[in-house]
Formats: sequence, structure tokens, C-alpha cells
Amino acid sequence: MTSISRRGLFRATVAGVALAAMSAGWANAQQMGGTLDVGLTYEIDTMNVYSTGYLGDAQATIVEGLLAPDENANYVPVLATEVPTLDNGGIVLSDDGETMTITYHLREGVTWHDGEPFTSADVAFTWEAVKNPDFIAESKSGTEVIDSIETPDDLTVVVHYNTVAPDFASTLFTFGIMPKHVLEGQDLNTHEYNELPVGTGPFMATEFERGQYVVAERNPNYWRTAEDGTQLPYLDRIVFHIVPDSNTIMTQLRSGELDLVVKTPYNQAAQIEAIDGLELMVGPLLSWQHLDFNFRNDFLADHAVREAFAHAVDREVLIRAQGGFPEPIKSIVVPVFSLYDDTTPSYEYDVELANQILDEAGYEMGDDGIRTKDGERLSFDFVVTAGNADDENVQQILMAQMEAIGVELVPDNRAGVAYREARYSGDYDLIYGRWITSADPVYSVFYGTDGANNGQGYSNPELDEVLATLEGSLDPQVRQEASSEMQHMIAEDIPSIPLTTNVALITKTTALKNFVPNPTNMTNFVNSAAWYLEE
Amino acid sequence: MSLSFLIRRIFGAIPLLFGISLVLFVIIHLAPGGPLDVYADNPSVSPEALEQIRVRFGLDQPVPVQYVLWLRSMLVGDWGLSIRTGRPVLDEIVTRLGPTLQLGGIAMLLSFIVAVPLGIVSAARRGSRTDSTVTFAAFAGISMPVFWSALLLQLIFSVWLGWLPSAGMKSIGDGSFPDRLAHLVMPVAVLSLATIASWSRYIRSGMVDVLSQDYIRTAYAKGRRERGVIFRHALRNAMIPAVTVIAIDFVTIISGAVITETVFAWPGIGRLFVESMNGRDYPMLMGLMMMGSVGVVAANILADIVYAALDPRIRHG
Repeated sequence: MTSISRRGLFRATVAGVALAAMSAGWANAQQMGGTLDVGLTYEIDTMNVYSTGYLGDAQATIVEGLLAPDENANYVPVLATEVPTLDNGGIVLSDDGETMTITYHLREGVTWHDGEPFTSADVAFTWEAVKNPDFIAESKSGTEVIDSIETPDDLTVVVHYNTVAPDFASTLFTFGIMPKHVLEGQDLNTHEYNELPVGTGPFMATEFERGQYVVAERNPNYWRTAEDGTQLPYLDRIVFHIVPDSNTIMTQLRSGELDLVVKTPYNQAAQIEAIDGLELMVGPLLSWQHLDFNFRNDFLADHAVREAFAHAVDREVLIRAQGGFPEPIKSIVVPVFSLYDDTTPSYEYDVELANQILDEAGYEMGDDGIRTKDGERLSFDFVVTAGNADDENVQQILMAQMEAIGVELVPDNRAGVAYREARYSGDYDLIYGRWITSADPVYSVFYGTDGANNGQGYSNPELDEVLATLEGSLDPQVRQEASSEMQHMIAEDIPSIPLTTNVALITKTTALKNFVPNPTNMTNFVNSAAWYLEE
Repeated sequence: MSLSFLIRRIFGAIPLLFGISLVLFVIIHLAPGGPLDVYADNPSVSPEALEQIRVRFGLDQPVPVQYVLWLRSMLVGDWGLSIRTGRPVLDEIVTRLGPTLQLGGIAMLLSFIVAVPLGIVSAARRGSRTDSTVTFAAFAGISMPVFWSALLLQLIFSVWLGWLPSAGMKSIGDGSFPDRLAHLVMPVAVLSLATIASWSRYIRSGMVDVLSQDYIRTAYAKGRRERGVIFRHALRNAMIPAVTVIAIDFVTIISGAVITETVFAWPGIGRLFVESMNGRDYPMLMGLMMMGSVGVVAANILADIVYAALDPRIRHG
């Protein structure tokens, strides 16, 4: 029953957020000043947004990009004056439709934290710096599809692509722009910028003590003002405390030493409701858990078997086993995205129907409770990440649920690289795992015939065409339709069963206002300029 | 105890340390997983980007080659580059060594100052109420898990009373002596508690043993007072078993106290180790473990010297 009350809470919170967001427009007394103490559960490795192995929570208050995803994962302009589209002429397709050119108009009067003006040269430099193979960084995607960048004047950037890339906004330039005057000719792997980055954001990095904290002080010359003309940001200072122990995080929330924790441990979240002055917000996350089939297995290539699986899964039990917080999903596109199609067909939990489907497809129940066909048992190797308690619990539940329809799952768990290898190469019958995506995921890498992450041997040429349309078009109408078609096709083919999507549990002081959870990889802190503390 | 003995011990430790490094290197590479696992769930990290990182850190080389490369950087360089942060391992370790030495050193000193008198009193008044109380407290101290006593202290002094900061090493923008002291109180107390408990037991048992010796009876017989007997005749001999334990515990000063550092968000070596272990940051792990190994070897040599100083009958030829 706890899961139901928590889900109720989720709805209430979402409504609350919507109200808060609406009322923010006419709230009259945004207060200036104050320090916000934030608890981070991980050790910040580097403050450079392109090379960090984590999401850049602290970085998002300091470094800005041209665009940023908002709370609905839609892009909004930041250092650019508008989001380039076909309609506004920001994106121009070549005559043959094979390549594109994007023009960004930059905001006027923006300065770096050290006072130097921000110009188009910084944008071009960022591309060159990230692309440079000497710079060790994992977030380089997006650099290879750009051929050249022109900067006709200080506020105009013309980017020539060698292909049509509708996901152009997902990493490069959105993650952040780097200051040319600070970094040109420097070694980006060792430069002090990785400790105290110079950005254009609402806060300036003033102190970074490894293993302890990052201090971000108010940028008095920030370019943004509130609707009533007040200079943003409202807060004087944000301090990111590194607190690796989840019990200590809870203690510090209780003692008032922390005001905001964006990653509350699932098993401790229930306590928050009992603490005065704190509230728990439930926000979406761009991740989804799924069970994938390997089509190289003859039984699993049979649609009837996959359909029976889909009917035999009870997501409620899976959710309860994960603390009651994940949400059930039916489509591979998580509901946060505007591309999500609510009419995607779902498979109701119905063990009888599942059994009936298998009976009709000729799978006979054997003496040991496992079905057989042509003398072969319906027994499959089932891979999850070894050592991940949540995943291994889910595995146990799925094994029990499949046993109810006469299917045997044999655990074959792998750790780390071995799991990853298995997933790429298809060294499994069934695999359970999750994807965490950016605000504009490319689905062909998962379900396209030649997709880099498609180890399933799944191939549907019709789907490939739809994916090509989706990922090769810049027309929102065309994309929406293609996305719907993709979701329907995948739901009908059942190459994988989408199970649950995770939620972010955010604990914050009730005094913090204007906070809107942001599910994207640009983190909740992307909008920190508008936050204020009410006394 | 000759100088030549000391020199021989130190040189003898070199092949030992090579052996240890080889074993450690093999073990951490046998452990499942690798440094690039953190990207496993992130589909936007392309295989090409991963390959670039792999080549950059030499992870594409065979393991024996990696060992030689590591050994070279350990002997003549900056101990290699951390895969997680991209910074030299030596820099990272030095950054974390200060806080760990501070916490561990103060805790050790405090433990020593408290444990020795406790052990002596307990042994000298064997069977008395004082002895029972100390014994009971010692067992309670040994049995109480560190994370539990830490949580309890945080609850009492930070949440209920609000006297002390619950975690961290200093306040932002402060860092004055009283501020640092306030941050030190709880971690030092937690770390000392268990150490005091175990050391006082060793000193007690050593003392009980010595106090029943003939020469103690002789000392009493020639008219010495109890205080004189204990400090002049018994203590030095009673310390010998305790020195071994203290010497080994001494190593934790540099290898860090994982649980205490994690619970109190103390930026020390122990946490760096856990973080590096989770990320399979091979160069960092090797650096940390080698530092710990050198510590153990050094502590053993030190213990030998102390034995000889305490008991002139012990001779190292």
C-alpha cells in the first residue's frame, strides 16, 4: 500500500510544482540574498563539463551553453537569443537535403566572470577544443558532425554540419561554452579551469576544495533580469557540500546544515515527510528500465513468446521491490518527452491470457512446470548487472513471474565491462538494464538494425525507415508523427518490454522558492538564477 | 641494535615491496569491472570516445606492459594519472594526506594518552570495581560499530543540541582554529573510542602478565612502592606486546579510516580509496595501496627498534 500513497504524493507534488511555477509570475516578494547549502552524494572529479563523469550539478550554476533544456525537456535559449529552427531561419537545409547550416545569434552584453566580453569566437573555440583528440573527455559527441564554423561578427555563429542532425542541441554548445581568452593554447587536461571554471552563469566559482565543497558566489553582472527588472540571481551564494554517506546527508538535512539534496536515497525518503521545514519533491528522470529479448534465440524470435512475457509481467511488484518510487511505463519514450505517445498499446498483466497464448502457439506444459516445444524446454539465460541490488531483486521477481507461465529463466549475471560486452554483442537470451538519456535521445542506436547498442539481433526495415525519418527531419510535425509510429511499431514487435522509469527524489527546505525539478542531463541547477529563499 | 641492521632491514624491504606491488597489480586487474564502467548506462558516450580514453590511459596495452609503465611512473614520475580525475595520482594523494594525518594523528595521540593509564590501572587493580568498569567499557567500545557511534554522536550533538557541525572539515569562509577544532571533536572521539578500547586491553594483559613475574616480587621485597615498581620495572616490559599492535594501527594514520571519513565527510585518504575502488581507478588504487604497504613495512621496522629500546635483552644482530 505504501507505493500507492507515495504515488498519490507524486501527483500532489507535481500539481504543487505546476502551481508554484504559475504563481511565481506574480509573486511580489522575491527576496534577495541568502546562502543555499546543497548536498552532493558524489565526489566531483572535475569542474569541466565536457570531461566530468557525473552530471554537472555544481557546474550548471557557473557555466552556460547557447541553449538549455527546460523542465519539460524542451530547449530554450540561454546565450543564444532564440532556438534555431527551420521556421525562424536558424536552420537552413542544403539543396540536396543532406547537410544543414545553423546560425546562432548571441545575446548582447554578456560578459565572462572575469569581465571579458562573451563573443562568437568563444563558441568556435569550444568546438575546436572539445574536438581536439588531446583533450581527454567523454562528452565529445556532436563535434564530429560539424565541418566548420564561421563567425562573421561578434554576435553571429554560423555552424556548417556535414549531415542533418536534429539532436544538434543535446551536448555540444548546450553543455557549456568555454572562454577562449583563458584557455587558448593551454592544456585542457591540467588547466586550472578544471577546478575553477570561468563561465557566464549566475554564479561564479570561487573555491573548490577537493572532497569537501564548491562555493559559487553571486555574479553581480549576470545578464538576466527578472520580469520586474530585478537583477538575477536572487541568492548570494550556493555551496555544494560533498557528503558521500547517505545517513550523514539525512542528519545534515535534519540539523539544517543542508537545504537541498537532489538525490535523496529511496530508502530514506519516507523520513523527510516527518521533518519540519523540509519537503520532498518527486521529479521525473530521463531513464528507463527494460527487458530485452535476443532474436537469435528461436523461441524468443517467436512473437507469441514475447507477447506472453509482456502479459506475464506485473510492474507493480517490480516497483514495490524498488522502494515504491519508480513509475510504470509502456513506451520506450518516457512520458516526460513531448514525443511521447499516450496511445501506444500496452499489454495488461494477465497470466491466464499469457498461458493461453503459449498454449495456442504449441508450447506444451511439461511435467516439471516448464513448457516445451519440439522436445526443447523454454529455458533462457537471463543477464543483469551483478552486484546491483535493485537489478538483482527485479531479476528474482521476473524469474518468479515467468515461472507462472511455464518459462524458466536462469540467472547469468555479469559485472561492469562484462555486462556491457554482453549487451553489445548479444551474449544473452534475455537482458535487463536501463538507459539514461539526454533530453533528445536517438532511438536508432537501440532499435535500428545497425544500432550501436542493438545487441539483440532485432531488425525491422520498416522501423529503420521510420527512425531515419525521425532522426533526419527537423520538422516538428514530421518528428511527432514518426515518433508515434516508432512507439507503436516497437510496442507491437516487442523487441523489449519497457518496465519502469525512475524518479528523482528531491529534498528541499520549504523556504526555497521557484525551484522546478529539471529531469534532463543539465540538472536541476540549470535554473538556479530564479531561485530565492523566503524567510 | 646496530645501524647496519637498520640499513639491512630497509634494503631487505625493497624486494618485498616489489613483490607486494606485483600481487596488488594482479589482484586489482582480476577484480571484475574496469575504469570505464561508469559510462555503461550512458548511450551518448560513443565507442570511439571510450576507445580514445582507453588508449590515452594505456588500458589497451597488455597487463604486463601496463605494470612496467606503472612502475616507471611510480619510481621516476608522479605515480601516473588518475583515470577518474585526470590529475597526477601523487597530487591527489598529497591533497588528501593532510586531513587524514590530522584526524588519524590526533586520534592516535589521544588514544595513547588515555589507553596506557587505563590499562595500567586496570591491571594493577585487577578484579576491583575500577577494573570491571574499564573492562566493560573496553568491550563496549570494541563491540560498538564505528558508524553507529558516529550516527549517535551526530544525532545528539548536531541534531538535538546543535553544538557541533555534523560533518566536514571546516566551515565555508571560516577555517579558524576553533572552527576546525569543532569539526574534529566527533570524528576524533569516534576513531579514538575503538582504539582506546583495544589498546587498553593489550596493555592490561601485558601488565597482568608482567606483574606476576619473580622480579616484580623482588622489587616489592626490596621495599619499592607500587608506583615505583609499575613505572620502573613493569611498564617497559608490559609494553612489548602492545607495541606490535600499536605499530600496525599506526599505519591507519596514513591509510585513512574509511568509515569515519565517509560518515563525517572528511576529505581523507580512506574516502579517496573507496571512491577509486568504485571507479576502478587503477593508478590511484596502486598508489594508495603501495603507500599503505610502505607504511606497514616501516611500522614493522619501527616496532623492532622500539622493542630493542624497551628491552635491552632483545638484540637485532
